[in-house]
Amino acid sequence: MASRPGPLNDDEVLSETSKMVAFIKQEAQEKAREIKVKADEEFAVEKAKLVRQETAAIDAAAEKKRKGAETSIKIEHSTATNRARLRILAAREQHLHTLFDAARSQVVLIAQQDKNKYEQLLEGLILEGLLRFLESSVTVTCRPSDVPASEAAAASAAQTYHTISGRSVSISVDGSLPADGAGGVRLSAAQGGRITMDNTLDERLTLLEDTMLPEIRTDLFGKSENRKFYT
Amino acid sequence: MSQQSQSIQTLLDAEKEAAKVVQQARQYRTQRLKDARSEADKEIAEYRKQKDEEFKKFEAERSGSTQSVQTSIDKDTEQKIAAINEAFEKNRNEVVKKLLERVVEVHPEMHRNNKKTK
Repeated sequence: MASRPGPLNDDEVLSETSKMVAFIKQEAQEKAREIKVKADEEFAVEKAKLVRQETAAIDAAAEKKRKGAETSIKIEHSTATNRARLRILAAREQHLHTLFDAARSQVVLIAQQDKNKYEQLLEGLILEGLLRFLESSVTVTCRPSDVPASEAAAASAAQTYHTISGRSVSISVDGSLPADGAGGVRLSAAQGGRITMDNTLDERLTLLEDTMLPEIRTDLFGKSENRKFYT
Repeated sequence: MSQQSQSIQTLLDAEKEAAKVVQQARQYRTQRLKDARSEADKEIAEYRKQKDEEFKKFEAERSGSTQSVQTSIDKDTEQKIAAINEAFEKNRNEVVKKLLERVVEVHPEMHRNNKKTK
């Protein structure tokens, strides 16, 4: 303001006015600068925040994807190994079937080759049954073609049975076994035939296929490499 | 008097200019916020692209290795199966003979708890 007391003259008014104008301008520019500076700061902060958020999310998703890919690869490997094992097992099983089929086709020859041996076999089979049953009256069922041999075998089996067990038995032979079987006998205790024992060669072979499996495995394919325990 | 109103007018004009300057600054701020978003988006897209490429590379490597593992497993299996076939052919007759021998092997025995009756 003018230092002289009293109203201002024209020049002083102009000078004061322009001073005020300059002040107003300066204030405005300072304010504008502040706003701009703050804006730039906020820009940087906001941008960094957005980028950080999203990249964190992207990283998490990528990690998940990667883990998923690794897992699925492991699964693939495991499936491949499994498949391979199953193939090998299937090959072995196929061989077993071939083997059993061969055995089954040769079983019929037993009865045909050596008559004496076969009759001895019949005697043994019948005796086995008698000693299991310990019954006083037994029916022996055989193939129609085996009836005479079975009757002879039954007689001597009954004798041996008495020697071993001190018991007597009466045996009746009937030839109702299917003629295309491999031979052997079926025994039944005469009380309505409720106790039976299948001692036919076919049945014996079937049972053997099962019980001999471990032995067959080692005979055919060698001992198992991974097995650690044997009873 | 007119000088007074002139001065006042000058001041009012100056105020108006000042307001404009501040207004521009505020617009700048708004624009900056928008820029922050769009630039961030660009950077994010760039990052995502990079990550995707990394993953693709990773996949390609891995799939190559899976193939070779599969092939080696197959080869191994073929060998094993060939060995099995060989072993089978070598031993089958023996085993069939054994089976047939056991079929006719009979051991008629009384149970060990039974005793011969007088």
